Amino acid sequence: MTETKQGCPFSHTDYGADTEIHGHYALLDAEREASRFRFNDTTERGFWMLQRYDDVVEGFQRHDVWTTRARSAINPDSGMALLPQDLNGEAHLKMRRVINPFFAPAAVKRMEAMAHERCIELIEELRPKGGCDFVAEFAIRYPTDLFLALLGLPVSDGDFFLPWSETLFAGFFGGDPDAAAAAKRKITDYFDAAVNERRANPRDPKQDMVSRLIEARIDGEPISQEDILTVCMTLMLAGLDTTRSALGYIFTHLARDDADRRTIIDRPDLGPAAAEEFLRMYPLVFQAGREVRAAGEFHGIDMAEGDVVWLGIGSANRDPRKFPEPDRFVIGRKGGNQHLAFGAGPHRCLGMHLARLELAVVLKEWHERIPHYRIKEGTRLVERGGQLTLATLPLEWEV
Amino acid sequence: MFISVDAAACMGHGRCYSVAADLLSDDEQGFVAQSGQTLRIPGDLLDQAREAADACPEGAISIVEEHPDR
Ligand code: SF4
Repeated sequence: MTETKQGCPFSHTDYGADTEIHGHYALLDAEREASRFRFNDTTERGFWMLQRYDDVVEGFQRHDVWTTRARSAINPDSGMALLPQDLNGEAHLKMRRVINPFFAPAAVKRMEAMAHERCIELIEELRPKGGCDFVAEFAIRYPTDLFLALLGLPVSDGDFFLPWSETLFAGFFGGDPDAAAAAKRKITDYFDAAVNERRANPRDPKQDMVSRLIEARIDGEPISQEDILTVCMTLMLAGLDTTRSALGYIFTHLARDDADRRTIIDRPDLGPAAAEEFLRMYPLVFQAGREVRAAGEFHGIDMAEGDVVWLGIGSANRDPRKFPEPDRFVIGRKGGNQHLAFGAGPHRCLGMHLARLELAVVLKEWHERIPHYRIKEGTRLVERGGQLTLATLPLEWEV
Repeated sequence: MFISVDAAACMGHGRCYSVAADLLSDDEQGFVAQSGQTLRIPGDLLDQAREAADACPEGAISIVEEHPDR
C-alpha cells in the first residue's frame, strides 16, 4: 500500500541531488503521471507538489495568500535576501515598477547591438582552438559581460567578477560555505563602490539602472543603500547561472541532433522561436516555492498556514495535457510560449526578455561561425540538482 | 470580433504583443499598452489576435464576438 497524506501519495525523491543529464525531467515526468498531487518528505518542512500545467498556473496566481516567503520548495529557508522577490503584494509592485523599465522589450532592444558584438568576440576567440568547455569558456562569460554592461559597469571587470560569482553559486549547492561568504562580501563591496560612484556622478536615470535606483522614491522614500545592493546581487544571481544552464542544454541538444542543428543553421530567423521551445523543453529552474500564509483548500487538499508548496515548472512544461509529445522539439508549436520557464504571476522573471535575446543571439552567431560540433567522446554529462546546470560540456569542431 | 485584455490578469509577460505586433504594443514597463481595453479586430488580423490569446500564460486575453458594453 502506498502511504498517503490527505490522499496524496508521498514522494521520497530528493530533487537536490545530481543526476545524469535529463535525469530530473524523467523523475518529474514519472511523478506527474503517477498522481496529480504528491507530498514530498525529503526536506525538513516537506512540500505539496503541484505538477500539472493548470494546477501550477493556478498556484502562481494565488499570490495573495501563497507568498514568496519560501521561494524554493526544496530550500524554503535560504536566509539570503533577494529583491524584489522577497516582497509581495503592493510593496512588490512598487519595487517592480522602478526596475521593470530596464528589462522591458524597449530597454532590451537597446542592448541588442552590444549582445551581438560581445557574442561574436567570444566565439572568435574560441573558434581557432577547435574545442572548448562550452559551460566554462562561453556560456557563463557571455551573460556575465552583458550583466555588467546592463549595470553600466566595465565589461573587463568580468575577469575578477566571474570567479566570485562562481564561488558564491557553488556555496548554494553544497560548496564551501566560508568561501561563498567571502565571495559574497567581495561582490557586495564591488557593488557598493559602484553605487557610491553613481551617487557622486549620477547619469541619466532613464538609461542607467543604478542611477535610477538611487533616484527612485517609493512612498516618498529613497531605496536604502542596502536594498540597492540586494537588488544588484539578485539580478546577478538570477541572470548568470540560468543563462549558462540554458545554453548548456541547448547546445547538448543541438550537438546530438543533426536535423535540428541543420534547421538552426539554415534558418537563422528561427532563433527566437527555437529559443522559446528550448525554454519549454529544458527549464532550469524546475520548481518555485511558495509559503501558505492563509490556510485554505486547493482542489481537495487542506493546506495549513506555513505549509510549503512546490510549483512544478519542469513538470508543467512537459505536461502532455498541455503540450502534446512534450519530448519533441517543435519550433512554433501551438501555445508553446505559454510555458512556465519564467514562472507566472506578478513574480514572473524580470529578465525574461533579456534572456530570450541572449539565447537567440547565441543561436545565430555561433552557428554562423561554428555550424558543426560534437560532444567530446567519452564525456559523461552530469546535471546539478536544485537548479539544473551542466558541470561541463566539452565541445569539439574542425578548424 | 473583439479582443479584450484583462488589466488585473496582465503580468507583463510580453508574449501577446510579440506575436501580434500589428494589434498590440507594449508600455514602458513591458505590460501590454492595451491593458483593460476591448478593441475591434480588423478582419485580416484575426489570426494574430488568436495567437496573442494563445500566447498569454496568464489567460489575460480573450477573443469575444460582442463588445461587452453593447
Ligand atoms: S502576454 Fe498576457 S500577461 Fe503578457 S503582456 Fe500580454 S496580456 Fe499581459
